[in-house]
Amino acid sequence: MAGPGIWSGTISFSLVAIPVRLVRGVSSGRVSFHLLHAGDYARLARRMYCPKEDALVPPEEIVRGFELPSGRCLPVTEEELESVSPERSRTIEILEFVDADAIDPLYRNRPYYLVPLKGGEKAYRLLAEAMSRTGKAGLARLVLAEREHLVAVSSREGALALTTLHYAEELVPVASPDAEPGKPDEGLKEAMKASILGMEARFDPARHADERRRKLLALLERKAAESVYVQAPPAEEETAGPPDLMAALEEAMAQMRGSR
Amino acid sequence: MDAKGALWKGSIRFGLFAVPVKLHTAARESRVHFHLLHKTDGERLHQVMVCGLDDRPVPPEEQVKGYEVAEGRYVLVEPEELAALDPEPSRAIEVREFVPGAQVDPFLIDHVYTLLPDGGYGFGELLAALDETGMAGICAWTMRKRAYVGCLEARGGSLRLAALRHADEVVGASTLGLAQLPVTEKELRIGCDLIGMLAAPFSPQKYQDEHQRRLKELIQAKADGQAPVLQRPRVLHPTPPDGLMAALEASLRKVA
Repeated sequence: MAGPGIWSGTISFSLVAIPVRLVRGVSSGRVSFHLLHAGDYARLARRMYCPKEDALVPPEEIVRGFELPSGRCLPVTEEELESVSPERSRTIEILEFVDADAIDPLYRNRPYYLVPLKGGEKAYRLLAEAMSRTGKAGLARLVLAEREHLVAVSSREGALALTTLHYAEELVPVASPDAEPGKPDEGLKEAMKASILGMEARFDPARHADERRRKLLALLERKAAESVYVQAPPAEEETAGPPDLMAALEEAMAQMRGSR
Repeated sequence: MDAKGALWKGSIRFGLFAVPVKLHTAARESRVHFHLLHKTDGERLHQVMVCGLDDRPVPPEEQVKGYEVAEGRYVLVEPEELAALDPEPSRAIEVREFVPGAQVDPFLIDHVYTLLPDGGYGFGELLAALDETGMAGICAWTMRKRAYVGCLEARGGSLRLAALRHADEVVGASTLGLAQLPVTEKELRIGCDLIGMLAAPFSPQKYQDEHQRRLKELIQAKADGQAPVLQRPRVLHPTPPDGLMAALEASLRKVA
């Protein structure tokens, strides 16, 4: 099942516009823990705290603040942020198509999928099929919260994948190898090639599983089986905060931080 | 940007070969940093962990990690137990196998490191060997107490090591619940023609981050007391399914 959308709008190429929403292309495989209060084992929740009022602050009272050179923080609202690039906050306009293979993996940042909204399924399929046939990917810009990304839209397993790319100016220039003057030693190179081909296999990502995760889960299961666990007290509704408020806060914070 | 300091140093091992290398971060995300403020008084907010029972902030020394095995039931984990799972430190980047580069799914790529020689020999030869065979080395290494699996390959004249995600972390397109609607051959042909007409070489240096510049201007203007001009985001009208062919044909005329 596709997770909650991070962004929704329209993707277009020339005069064809497709309503879509953005969902994550990868999910963390990390074993997730909850933080508990030592002693009573009550579950802890992330909240924002105002030191001036010595109080917790609900999500609707939170605003982004950008630091000025003076050190002062200037609040900027969502509407003001959307006004920075109004032509791009709700649209992904593909202006050119490039060979998908020509996109150097160095530029790849984060992968997502686009999912069509009602009415857009046919045009979505057309774009995915046409890009698959031509082997091309569309380049465009996308504004997510306070950042604008260069993105590549490509066909992937019948769906439209969207990958945010680094700008050329974000690539770290690394000095070219200076310790290898002249051409490579042919004999050494050929010996390496023989070794490489001798170790050839078919790539199977499942073969390279996360050992640490496996060991951690085994440890946790063993402890659970040996009844080495604690019971948390039931959370009282009014003090824990209504679940949708907490979810909204988590989502707002995740969006503000631009987290994966 | 100063690229002198290497992130880490290691040695690529396969067969009888050991090639010493330095790892450098290949790309950095530049972002305008922000804080979270209280709307009412403009105060900077701090993140705290709050106890579900009494709504009070709890300091780190009173926090314990628990893994939920059933409703409200947690297995506690000590920092020492987690530390015991850390891999043994090593400088070896062990190549387990070589695979054709095209077989590595781009969605698996998490982070790319650029490699430079670190004395010794064999770097240029390895670069040439990988380039000529078109193979990628699937390697395992440990760096800063974390175990990595990665893909070693030559591209654009440089040697890279791409840290990979695990297979089950990639969302499969089949989980998206997409309806596979049929598209006519005629529509497809026009679609492909359009793509061809809008084709260009990949030239990433053409694109600069204008948004950051404009955002900084907005922030400065606001700080100087000017109210920002609010503009509604542009919204495009979605092409209706029965209007797709007309939109495609109109696009062809426009682009031609």
